[in-house]
Amino acid sequence: MGGRTEDVVTVDGSTRTDAGSTGVDEARGVTWHGVRTVAALELRQRVRSSRWKTALVVWVVAVGAITLLSSGALAALSRTESDPPSRGPLLFAIVTVLVLGLGLLVTPTLTSTAVNGDRAAGTLATLQVTLLSPAEIALGKLLAAWSAALAFLVASVPFLGVALALGDVPVAALPRVVVVVALLLVAVCGIGLGWSTVAARPAGSTVLTFLTVAGLAVFTPVFFGIAFPAVTQTETVTVHGISPEQWQDLDGLELENGAPANATCETYTEEREVTHTERTWWLLALNPFVVVADAAGTSPGAGMDAAANRFDPLGTVSEGVRFLRAGPPDVQEECWIEDGSAVELPTAGAVWPYGLAANLLLGVVGFVVAVRRLRIPQRTLPRGTRVA
Amino acid sequence: MADSPAPDLPPGGTGTAVATAPGIDVRGLRRAFGTVQALDGVDLVARAGAVTALVGPNGSGKTTLLLVLAGLLVPDAGEVRVAGVDPVTQSRAARARTGWMPDAFGTWDSLTAREVLTTFADAYRVAPAAIPGRVEDLLATVHLSEYADRPAAVLSRGQKQRLGLARALVHDPQVLLLDEPASGLDPRSRVELRVLLRRLADEGRTVLVSSHVLSELEEMADDAVFLSRGRTVAGHLGDDAAAARRTWRLRALDRAALVAWLDASGVVWRADADAADGAVLLDVEGDAGAAALVRDAVTAGVPVVSLAPAGGALEQAYLALDEERR
Ligand SMILES: Nc1ncnc2c1ncn2[C@@H]1O[C@H](COP(=O)(O)OP(=O)(O)OP(=O)(O)O)[C@@H](O)[C@H]1O
Ligand SMILES: [Mg+2]
Repeated sequence: MGGRTEDVVTVDGSTRTDAGSTGVDEARGVTWHGVRTVAALELRQRVRSSRWKTALVVWVVAVGAITLLSSGALAALSRTESDPPSRGPLLFAIVTVLVLGLGLLVTPTLTSTAVNGDRAAGTLATLQVTLLSPAEIALGKLLAAWSAALAFLVASVPFLGVALALGDVPVAALPRVVVVVALLLVAVCGIGLGWSTVAARPAGSTVLTFLTVAGLAVFTPVFFGIAFPAVTQTETVTVHGISPEQWQDLDGLELENGAPANATCETYTEEREVTHTERTWWLLALNPFVVVADAAGTSPGAGMDAAANRFDPLGTVSEGVRFLRAGPPDVQEECWIEDGSAVELPTAGAVWPYGLAANLLLGVVGFVVAVRRLRIPQRTLPRGTRVA
Repeated sequence: MADSPAPDLPPGGTGTAVATAPGIDVRGLRRAFGTVQALDGVDLVARAGAVTALVGPNGSGKTTLLLVLAGLLVPDAGEVRVAGVDPVTQSRAARARTGWMPDAFGTWDSLTAREVLTTFADAYRVAPAAIPGRVEDLLATVHLSEYADRPAAVLSRGQKQRLGLARALVHDPQVLLLDEPASGLDPRSRVELRVLLRRLADEGRTVLVSSHVLSELEEMADDAVFLSRGRTVAGHLGDDAAAARRTWRLRALDRAALVAWLDASGVVWRADADAADGAVLLDVEGDAGAAALVRDAVTAGVPVVSLAPAGGALEQAYLALDEERR
């Protein structure tokens, strides 16, 4: 202490004077000042390490190389075809999946050791005894990790732009993808933060975070597949089309010559196997890739030429999952003969709001757990750890 | 720190306000970790304006006690007041008044010493305008100005320890809880630490220091609290040390003459087995008894070289404890 009394700083008046106030709403007390202090501490910690810069450079090189290689490959392929499909939607899908996939790989490492790593390093308790509230510490750590993840995302935006420039992708898809991926990444940050307060060892929380992310990204389609037989059953369905009796009446010659003139569509019932995917679609909706594909909105909308020859994986996934959400229709439409155009598939509404909400909910749960576990004074300690 | 101007506090200002402030008051404190009863009935009073030593064998619960006082652990039972505030129910108010220094100072990989202190000043809501000056002062106090812009992780153990002390002081706390602050410090830094803690106590703060270096503690502590197996086993030191019966060490030029005189005057003595200089150990009633002993010996013509307490009062009291290390 310098002993210069005029420099003796007091803690802000409110806390000094109202000594009698109890810390009832302390855990919820959040100030921007406190959050910024923690976030700045965390970012200084991470950003200054050169590892991080290397990771960012590797990221840009990897995403860039894959983007350019695949667009080159697509160009080479399309040269050999007479009516090449437009390359934009495909490349856009490739870059989106790549960015989300790598993001889901990198982001867990940003928060999964945030709390127990600090505890192991002996720095957590010193932070907790300051006037920072648990929510400020948790929020600061979350914010720092999220901004690091966003740096990776922002670095990949130019490549999404390249795909957009190839045409046939609605411009709005770019901001939609970026926003949805950013929200999915903050959810992963929250999940990692939660695990890092629950597991005593950094290695344990990292594994748990990766397992959770893998559960969302990989296991959900697997479970959907496993559940498929369970929701498949034989039941009586109503069909609108050419009834089996009519088929028997038709003679083969007529069929060979084209559409039978005297066949008419009628409504009849039949025993069939139907799969009630409207009961299990949510498994797919949990999947971050499905969420992004559905939210991207790359399917030909009103403004786009539906007949254009385009291969759009994101749009296909989106349509597929919406079809699955709708489940079997009340009346199966099988009247192929009336005109040549494809029959409208029955579709339900958007799937992504549910998936995104579920992912964010998991993130919020992780965050809330973290705040609760960061509260002091502590009653129980994680097994085999000391406070200091 | 020694050359900084003495704080001239305005009358009725911080000085008197702090001087009348309550210190640390602990009653019947218990805390278990699973089956280990780390604290098993601790009663302790640390006065404001005094340095209180916390002494005890390894595993006696010193660190655990300081964690409870710092508001990091909930006690299982007992009452705690730190600067008049309960760290359990009024956590925030207690933390604003308490500076805690853990026994091992964890560091952030890539923060400099200055950034560490600035961050903590921010975290303690020190007024932003005052922070740079405050940080400079603290760095000068612990003699780290030279290392202010080096990563804290590369500081030596003693330097880290000093940075940890500066960190505990950053918000000018009324109560200081220091867990083995002297460990890893060189002799000069120890002297400076002692002077600093004395000054902080003289300013009216409550200082509770745990340490194993008893000679150190003895020189700066006003009171001592002994912990053994989670229980306080002896209260105040200080005042009654001068009157208490304790062991003294007596040495003379001629051991034979000394022994002959001691035997003749019926004083019970024993040889100091640890020393080769032929000194003897004897139990004496306080300082007055020691003075009488010297007078008698010199009168009897024994060539006395020295009479001094054997070990510090603290060390004797400590060794007298029947309890063992865990
Ligand atoms: N988190 C914990 N979990 C289980 N046991 C613990 C924990 N913290 C402390 N203990 C036990 O409580 C007892 C007191 O420990 P504490 O750290 O308070 O001792 P100490 O007096 O500080 O010792 P030292 O002088 O070695 O620093 C020890 O037996 C220790 O093993
Ligand atoms: Mg200890």
